[in-house]
Amino acid sequence: MSDPKKPLIFELVGKCTTTKARVGKMILPHGPVDTPVFMPVGTQGTLKGMLPEQLKSMGLQIMLANTYHLGTRPGIDVLRKAGGLHKFMNWDNNLLTDSGGFQMVSLLKLAEITEEGVKFQSLNEQKNEVMLTPEHSIEIQNTIGADIIMQLDDVVKTTIPDKARIEESVHRTTRWLDRCIKVHKNPQTQNIFPIVQGTLYEDLRRKSIADHVQRGVNGFAIGGLSGGESKDDFWKIVHLCTDLLPNNKPIYLMGVGFAEDLVVCCALGVDMFDCVFPTRTARFGCALLMTGQINLKKNTYANDMNPIDKDCSCNTCKKYTRAYLHGIVTDLPVACHLLTEHNVAFQLRLMRTIRENILNGTFVEFVQNFMSKIYPDKNYPSWIRDSLDAVHITLL
Amino acid sequence: MKFTVNPASQRCPRLGRLEAFIDKPEYSLETPLVLLHTQGGQIPHVTHEVLKLITEDPQILQIPLVSMHCYHEAIRLYNGRVSEFVGNKDCLTCITVHDPSNITKQGHHMKDKVPIFTRNGKVLYDSKMYMSMIEQFKPDMYILLSDGDTNISSPNKRIAKAVESTVSLTEQCIEIHKESEVLKETFVIAPVAGGYCLKSRQKCIDLMQKNNSYIQGYLIDGLHNNGSEVEFISFAEVKPVVDLVVQNLSPNKLVAVQGCWSPLNIIKLVKSGVDLYDTSYCRILTERSAAIIFAMEPQEHSEAYEINLRQPKYAEDFQPLLRGCNCVACQGYSRGYIHHLLTVQELLGSVLIMIHNIYYMLRFFRKIRDCIKNGNLDDLEDKVATQFKLLQLDTDKDMQVVNGSVDT
Ligand SMILES: [Zn+2]
Ligand SMILES: [Zn+2]
Repeated sequence: MSDPKKPLIFELVGKCTTTKARVGKMILPHGPVDTPVFMPVGTQGTLKGMLPEQLKSMGLQIMLANTYHLGTRPGIDVLRKAGGLHKFMNWDNNLLTDSGGFQMVSLLKLAEITEEGVKFQSLNEQKNEVMLTPEHSIEIQNTIGADIIMQLDDVVKTTIPDKARIEESVHRTTRWLDRCIKVHKNPQTQNIFPIVQGTLYEDLRRKSIADHVQRGVNGFAIGGLSGGESKDDFWKIVHLCTDLLPNNKPIYLMGVGFAEDLVVCCALGVDMFDCVFPTRTARFGCALLMTGQINLKKNTYANDMNPIDKDCSCNTCKKYTRAYLHGIVTDLPVACHLLTEHNVAFQLRLMRTIRENILNGTFVEFVQNFMSKIYPDKNYPSWIRDSLDAVHITLL
Repeated sequence: MKFTVNPASQRCPRLGRLEAFIDKPEYSLETPLVLLHTQGGQIPHVTHEVLKLITEDPQILQIPLVSMHCYHEAIRLYNGRVSEFVGNKDCLTCITVHDPSNITKQGHHMKDKVPIFTRNGKVLYDSKMYMSMIEQFKPDMYILLSDGDTNISSPNKRIAKAVESTVSLTEQCIEIHKESEVLKETFVIAPVAGGYCLKSRQKCIDLMQKNNSYIQGYLIDGLHNNGSEVEFISFAEVKPVVDLVVQNLSPNKLVAVQGCWSPLNIIKLVKSGVDLYDTSYCRILTERSAAIIFAMEPQEHSEAYEINLRQPKYAEDFQPLLRGCNCVACQGYSRGYIHHLLTVQELLGSVLIMIHNIYYMLRFFRKIRDCIKNGNLDDLEDKVATQFKLLQLDTDKDMQVVNGSVDT
């Protein structure tokens, strides 16, 4: 690497001439990541029964782990003694950790946000009050050792209309960013990403971005979305943020991972995504297809001798019929492994297809065909039609 | 497919070979051999993809009918071999009636019918229905339908009934087998019933003699009702039965047992002349979060017989399950990580333990065969027995801790 002190090098490899879609190569301490990238979520330092050996052979370059969960169990002491999460879980490709703040606010009813941090009642037996401060979040994330770490942000639900509270969260998030950067111990091996806040208010998003871009960070995350707001509001904010953020740094849209959302947001210029859905849904027998998803538990598959997806080259599709999978899903743990493998392979294939089409100059056609397969009756949702229109794609 | 006994071998312990498989002429498997226990064709927690990381040697999957009953319609439409249907066409297959890792419910007998307890309830199989499934599956080997519902405490009446039904069912199955074109090359294992009554065992063997030429192997059935209790069966109790059956069968026939026999008892069964086993014990171990790590080599140091990864003492133990073990689990993962996975109920915890247990069981059988070749199986038995005693002492101690007043 040319600059050994920089833990993230982002090179643009290609750009769509019509939309804002782009292909990049992001070099991180644990290897390269081709963007746009989807990062599956391995909450507790593992991904639904899959061995890291399997994930590597599928071509997975980066996965996400959750700071809140890992900080609780196995806890920071064990992780320190283990030499960090990469070693602990035997994963030598890249990792990204969240700050833990979102998990707390969404998982714990009693979380309360003050200037100092997020106060919550611990899940341990004593039920004592614990405070997650920006400093503490970074301390845990430094111990975990992920290649990309997230600042602690002041999370406000997108459905809360109180603008004063949202404005406060924008300013506080920037103050917390400074506190995070100040205590970050490993700037040469770990990248800290700020989180753009401001929910659905354009002026607040502008303010948040204007403050964050001055901090000399290596990439940005768009937070405070996919929290129940309407899709018509959602895409406009993504569009605005990708316009305002510097285009020489990766942009990460948090919590987005449904196939059509990925296609649209790539067109809007996003580089990184994560979502628990593809791996979580495998447990319930759901397999992802380009045209939607199927639940293999359903009796319609009992005698279906096709693979889940004949175009998929994952081991599950190469070796098993839907009929066979129907008989074991939700009954044997291995069935969950098999569906997880397919669903992760699906997400990787979708992103690879998007990158290839951008590089080949066929991205617009790809998006048109992709959407027309999902909506053969051309009954496109307004947000898909409008968002793609904003980047000059007219649906067929 | 055929079984041949090493001509240099004495009757017990002995070495043998399974070979001449229908579409896999290059395969040759040595006995004593362990079948890979599966449910629905899947090794518990270990997909066929992961199995490839454990071993690339040819293996036989043990597929219980009870776990495949749900496919009775699909398999007809599939029209391929069961190995391919369950996702591993490189493996050989052996169909058994019950799942040795789960307790088989007792009772519910009916004339010429055997109850199978599937996850959707009881299904009665007669010989016709059973053989029709076998013809659809096209396995490399299978066990004939039987009434194996006896154990050490079965009354004589039950034993007599079991012998009578088993003889009748096997006769019916063999009649169908003889006529079957697809099963022409399939290896037949006939069950010997009779519980712990030597006279009944003798009677069962005698009554099956007339079909002996259609039978390539015999299963010593009816020793137990499967499940985890098999691990604790005392060998002294089964020895007379095993000896009688082995001595009364033609020496060129394969002898099989089923169930989660402990490694020590496996050695004793090998010494009595049993050729075929299964890995259901690995599932039992894994379900209790235990990894087997007993030492097998004379110079090997033994830390324990098995370790339970749920114990808090492993939280900060960054050694592999067993130092020096070459399995995928021991090569990349620590006890501490596995402990963490078990604590947070993540699937990978059981996956890693099972990988090691299967790998270790395969290594154990290789060791047994080597010992037979070298004539030192007694040394292995002594080594394992000493470590097994220590496990029992440990378990007793743990029990005292549990029963005693320990402040938490
Ligand atoms: Zn697939
Ligand atoms: Zn091992």
